[in-house]
Amino acid sequence: MYRRWLWPGFALPGTLWLILLFLVPFYAVLAVAFGTVDPILQQPVPIWNPLEWNVGWMTETLSRFAPGGTFYGVAIRTIVYVVVSLALCLLIGYPVAYYISRHAGRTKNVLLILLILPFWISYLMRMLAWVNLLAPDGYVNRFLTFTHLLGEPRDWLGGAPSTVILALVYGYIPYLILPLYAALDRIDRSHLEAARDLGASPLRAFLHVTLPLSKAGILGGAVLITLPMFGDYYTPNLVSGAPATSMIGNQIDLYFHGGPQPTIGAAITVLLAAFLTVLMAYYMWTIHRATHEVRDV
Amino acid sequence: MTTVAERQAAPSLSTWERVRGWVTNPWGRPRFLVLVTWGYMIWAIVPVLIAIQFSFNASRSRTTWAGFSTRWYWGDPVDSVWNDPGLRHSLEQSLKLAGADVLIATPIGVLLALGLARWRGRGSRPANFLMLFPLVTPEIVMGVSLLLVFSHVFTFVHTGTLAQILGHVTFSISYVVVIVRGRLFSIGRQYEEAAADLGASPTSALTRVLLPLLAPAIVASAAIVFAISIDDFVISQWLSSGEDTDTVPIQIYSATRGAPLPSTNAIATIMLLVTFVSILLAFLVWRVFTRGERRAAQSTAESMGAFTV
Amino acid sequence: MARGEIQLLDLTKVFEDVTAVDHVDIDIPAGEFFSLLGPSGCGKTTTLRMVAGFEQPTSGRILLDGADVAYTPPHKRNVNTVFQNYALFPHLNVFDNVAFGLRRAKRPKDEVRERVGRALELVQLTGLEKRKSAQLSGGQQQRVALARALVLNPAVLLLDEPLGALDAKLRKELQLELKALQQEVGITFVYVTHDQEEALTMSDRIAVMANGQVEQIGTPKDVYEESATVFVADFLGVSNLMDGEVTGRDGTALRVRVGEVELRAERGEVATTGPAKVVIRPERIELEAYGENGAANRLPGMVERVVYVGAAQQLVIRLATGEQLQALVQNDGAPLEWEQGTPVRVHLPPSALRVLELRQALADTTADEG
Repeated sequence: MYRRWLWPGFALPGTLWLILLFLVPFYAVLAVAFGTVDPILQQPVPIWNPLEWNVGWMTETLSRFAPGGTFYGVAIRTIVYVVVSLALCLLIGYPVAYYISRHAGRTKNVLLILLILPFWISYLMRMLAWVNLLAPDGYVNRFLTFTHLLGEPRDWLGGAPSTVILALVYGYIPYLILPLYAALDRIDRSHLEAARDLGASPLRAFLHVTLPLSKAGILGGAVLITLPMFGDYYTPNLVSGAPATSMIGNQIDLYFHGGPQPTIGAAITVLLAAFLTVLMAYYMWTIHRATHEVRDV
Repeated sequence: MTTVAERQAAPSLSTWERVRGWVTNPWGRPRFLVLVTWGYMIWAIVPVLIAIQFSFNASRSRTTWAGFSTRWYWGDPVDSVWNDPGLRHSLEQSLKLAGADVLIATPIGVLLALGLARWRGRGSRPANFLMLFPLVTPEIVMGVSLLLVFSHVFTFVHTGTLAQILGHVTFSISYVVVIVRGRLFSIGRQYEEAAADLGASPTSALTRVLLPLLAPAIVASAAIVFAISIDDFVISQWLSSGEDTDTVPIQIYSATRGAPLPSTNAIATIMLLVTFVSILLAFLVWRVFTRGERRAAQSTAESMGAFTV
Repeated sequence: MARGEIQLLDLTKVFEDVTAVDHVDIDIPAGEFFSLLGPSGCGKTTTLRMVAGFEQPTSGRILLDGADVAYTPPHKRNVNTVFQNYALFPHLNVFDNVAFGLRRAKRPKDEVRERVGRALELVQLTGLEKRKSAQLSGGQQQRVALARALVLNPAVLLLDEPLGALDAKLRKELQLELKALQQEVGITFVYVTHDQEEALTMSDRIAVMANGQVEQIGTPKDVYEESATVFVADFLGVSNLMDGEVTGRDGTALRVRVGEVELRAERGEVATTGPAKVVIRPERIELEAYGENGAANRLPGMVERVVYVGAAQQLVIRLATGEQLQALVQNDGAPLEWEQGTPVRVHLPPSALRVLELRQALADTTADEG
């Protein structure tokens, strides 16, 4: 019906754009990470030919990630923060998603709107809100001292890991709940009814039917928030003044904006991207395996 | 002969069983879940409401309420959003970037969506994969890569507004594609085939049938691109050339780390309003455009009965 | 005025590794109501789409009034389609939907208004011009789709299972209306369906298709009473397929051995002696009281089940050979002589008994579809 070149032709501008401004920049990061540094100008010199790549800076950066190196602590800390935040997000988010998808009834529409609301509120505004609340004379301290849960006002914003984790959870949890809700909503009610009909208590029906069926949704939501979380640098900067709570993103930020070594910054970025690619590959392999398992049954 | 079952006395419950029954409530909605859900909603929304409230604070404090005032919006001669040059300029810059982003990313994205959805050839799979990548890439990785590419490859682009626009469009295209493609799949090929069958040339079929049907998705994706661009922080910051090209999120960021005034709350609230209005407009446009399609479920049932007249 | 004669010559369509349409030859004279009948996956819809222009044939020709249109784009063919889901443009009202083709042809406004009015009158939908398709019932939508196609005076109208989405009663009404409409307008209708009753009701002639090939073309009476292959016999109604062995001729008739009994069959033709299939329609089976086999063409059997279907009774009879037959006895008010579990003698009149070549049966077809 249509000319054969029409659809590829339509796709051309966008594809070209993404190649020039997405793929090529990626390659530029690699070229800088595997490049050299001009000793006089202290500027990074990218090397474009993969055969001539200089692994010096990369090995230097890798060594700093080894136990004892300067990045080791940050890397471990980042992983800990992300894992703990993810766990908390799931702990809070799963019941919410479950309730809205299975039990909400008349309030479902209202709850869905409330669920989507944080997406349209700027991330920074949500962090600003907490910075205000956690200020020395903010509502949190006032409430805690008023109810005598705390002896005197605590410094929440001075470098507390718990504050960073709280901020990460607060910031990213909406991105987990929505896909989780979508996955749970898709589960056919008749599966649960069948389980109850065959004698399972509500708890067992949940553990043996709902939970397994929602695995894909949990995994998808988890991937959706951990990938950006690993690159987060602004959250620690906003709610914590101290380097003691810095994440790997802060290191990258530092090397590009603070010091004279963009090459190391590029190297860290490459390693971060590689690490996330591995995570992503694991996720896709799990999904692939899950769908094939279903078919064999 | 049918018989009636005999009534038996109801068993009495201990206090523990009664409490557990109330919380778990097996025949209705488990109250524990209700508490968690509404607790979460309050926890998610209230802090922002408080921040909005304090944007109207009469004093300089963000933590102690001193009465209602609009000084931080336009009243205060030095520090209000209207009068502080830095704040006002950042508002303009944010709107400028968002506007450019919508105007560039939306057409490119619509074309890409059509192309990827219909292209059967060998290049379509890698192109599709490429399109999905920005959606899962952490922003810092994108920020670093764009900064480096403008420093070492496309050196004619310096950090600043042009670089920021290019960066915004790059991550926005994928959102347009995903939204428009969804609508495209629900439309299917049938209407274009019907149009061709009735004598419409391929161009006519596209412009008179497909595009009008696609319009709600295009408008929705434009609104989403606008909202995403307005709220973007990382890319804007990495490609900014200094205070001159700072956007509102960057201002909020610096102020929050330094010495935030209620004017920070005020400009954040303004941004919130702008985002909400654009989303609301898009939603309304979507409803108006798809009005014809939604009555299907009810009307068929109703008029089926009247049809036999 | 175009006549509307269609000829499909050696038409083939191959999709990657599936041959959807396999060297199909069909001749449809102008003004005929012609049906393509078959199970899903038999190639009938693909054939229709090739005639409409939405698929390009891999090989073969499509002649419309003598001109090969196989590679002409759909918007240039004088052929219009009524789609399975009607495909009414949701963003246009009824009037604009029907006027769409006329406007693409740049007809003047008065002409458009007049022709649309007449088309809506033809399908009895005058007065609903301003409605959007979502506000119409299924039957009304189907009529708009018809009007939209007919308003352009095509030489041929193609209909792709247009009644599939409607409930049974409405479907029956519209079947009769469509047939009447076709006779009134006088153009060629090519109708695709999987419902054999529908095809029998409406068509002048039917092409029964399976696996991309045409099994038989004929009038409804031809394909039902003179089924050419086992597939056609089995697809249209109950066939009572039996395994048999052709042992020789008896004048113009054939002698066939079914189990222990040798039968005389006056219908059908096979090339040589040997294994074959024997077919008889349920309404032609005659039931007699059980007794010793005296007369010819009689088999002993046991009534396994009696099914009451209102106008008639279906008797499922198990023969001594193990085969199962279904007989149909009209309800004429008198009580049925045979109950479940009683023995009965089954008379298969030679004039109703048909012998068919042993070829791929329906079961094999469904296995291929996977």
